[in-house]
Amino acid sequence: MKTQNIYFNPFLMLLWKEIRRYCKVLVQTVVTPGINSSLYLIIFGVSLGGSIDVGLEVPYLAFLISGLIMMSCLNNSFANTSSSIISGKFSGDLEDLKVVPLSKQQIIWAMCLGGITRGLVVASVALTVGQIFYYSQYGEFMEIKSPFSLAFFLLGGALAYAKLGMFVAFLAKTFDQMSAVSAFVLQPLAFLGGVFFSLNNLSPFWQKISLFNPVFYLINGVRHSILGVSDVPPLSAAVVTVLSLVIFHVLVLVTLSRSEFKRW
Amino acid sequence: MHKPLEILNLSKNYGAFKAVDDVSFALEEGEIFGLLGPNGAGKTTLISCVVTLENMTSGKVKVFGDSILDKPKETKSKIGYVPQEVVNHGYFTVEEILKFYSGFFGILRNQEKIDYLLNRLSLDVHRNKKVKQLSGGMKRRLMIAKALVHDPKILLLDEPTAGVDIELRNSLWDFVVELKKSGTTVLLTTHYLEEAEELCDRIGVIHNGSLRKVGRTSDLIQDLTLRKLEMQLSGKNKEFNSKYLVSQCEESIELEFPSNLEIGEVVKDLDLDWSTVKDIHLKEGSLEEAFLRILNENNANNSTNNSVERDC
Ligand SMILES: Nc1ncnc2c1ncn2[C@@H]1O[C@H](COP(=O)(O)OP(=O)(O)OP(=O)(O)O)[C@@H](O)[C@H]1O
Ligand SMILES: [Mg+2]
Repeated sequence: MKTQNIYFNPFLMLLWKEIRRYCKVLVQTVVTPGINSSLYLIIFGVSLGGSIDVGLEVPYLAFLISGLIMMSCLNNSFANTSSSIISGKFSGDLEDLKVVPLSKQQIIWAMCLGGITRGLVVASVALTVGQIFYYSQYGEFMEIKSPFSLAFFLLGGALAYAKLGMFVAFLAKTFDQMSAVSAFVLQPLAFLGGVFFSLNNLSPFWQKISLFNPVFYLINGVRHSILGVSDVPPLSAAVVTVLSLVIFHVLVLVTLSRSEFKRW
Repeated sequence: MHKPLEILNLSKNYGAFKAVDDVSFALEEGEIFGLLGPNGAGKTTLISCVVTLENMTSGKVKVFGDSILDKPKETKSKIGYVPQEVVNHGYFTVEEILKFYSGFFGILRNQEKIDYLLNRLSLDVHRNKKVKQLSGGMKRRLMIAKALVHDPKILLLDEPTAGVDIELRNSLWDFVVELKKSGTTVLLTTHYLEEAEELCDRIGVIHNGSLRKVGRTSDLIQDLTLRKLEMQLSGKNKEFNSKYLVSQCEESIELEFPSNLEIGEVVKDLDLDWSTVKDIHLKEGSLEEAFLRILNENNANNSTNNSVERDC
């Protein structure tokens, strides 16, 4: 006897599909980001790291690992929702979402949860790779000061970026627009968001600029959870996280109501 | 009883252009309704509004009495939609796609139905292929399977047979008839008018966005076309005189007359010597003629009198 539940099952299936989608190309979605993190760790953490002092009384390697974890988490949450929508626009199966009994909120949450899982998987890969490097340098594993706060910042950041990914992808009219947003907005924000350096390494002018970069707060939230030290207080990081969640949710909801599910 | 699908004063504008202009009609339960019209008439736009792919500019669409905008989930779960353009699905296989689609309609365990559809649409051996590995006709069949995983009460087919070979077309239409017999209401568009004539209980003709005519297929043909009577005669014949006569050649004559007339009536005026009649051909009007007539009716002074002298 088959049961049909048109209120909740469609949501479950979309979430499952989002997860299956990146599992189909695991090399591209999980292995590659893992290798990227390793390269950063080798170049900056191990080889250059000895000569860098971030002024926070932690080894540069630990500083870098905490930043890389968040950066890969954000990037992959964003990449998952945005590429799912963009490829759906391209192949036409995004239309399907409009034709089946899924509400806008369900579409948003299912896709975002899918994005979060990928963000968290890749963050765990980065953490694992980081721990291996840390162990090889210091003979012990890096301690995580506050796991609950780490979970909050990782989940919050991943969700915010998953929503941002949906927002940008729904707005984008071409592949070019999509990659322009990545190259001109997101990458700079991430690289200038304090993954590789602390405020202490910057001139006063750039310190002020950095404080306007939301990614800076997201990354420092994670850093504080892991190391117990960071450039900005964890409370302001938490406020920025919650604010981005609310803002991005509204943005997605609005674009979803207005924009086209039709293929390019 | 509510009608399966009611379209009320539906309009869709793209800027100032009216792609669908104040269209109203309803589907009767268990019928096959053919929506016909030339390229760009607004068929796809109309169907897109029904499945909410396009937001209608004004009007209302009801599915079994419920507005699609007020009760989106309930109404969408009763509709199966086959788009005109084939949809690709990236990395997923035929079987996975059908599983996802079942889930999207709320059915998490649907293997039996999926197997049935794969089998019925001869996709069984292709179940592990990706969409891009399928031929055009197979993709079409996959689209149809997708639309049927949840046993929809209403099936919307937007040119399901475009680019499909004759054998497959026939088997698809057989399947559609089978669905109709099991109670599904079908709305389809096609440019194959002969097939529409055979298949559809009722026809709606849409042109430049507005619905020009709706009626039973047989009624449209009867009302809008003339029957043709062709007779082969032997020997030399007199000059016949009848208002139904369209051509006369050495050994044959051709008559055209509205379907409500009896043949006796038509030939009465000819004063024919029946012993000279070698053979008789009666040709019924076709949907194609009716269709063209409807389209041309609006081109104001286009004379419908096609009694052009024909070659013998
Ligand atoms: N997104 C759009 N923007 C502007 N005009 C559009 C858009 N989509 C369709 N149209 C126009 O609306 C009209 C109706 O198009 P539609 O696709 O509904 O035709 P159709 O009856 O399905 O034709 P066909 O038999 O070729 O499939 C066409 O003139 C088309 O150019
Ligand atoms: Mg069309």
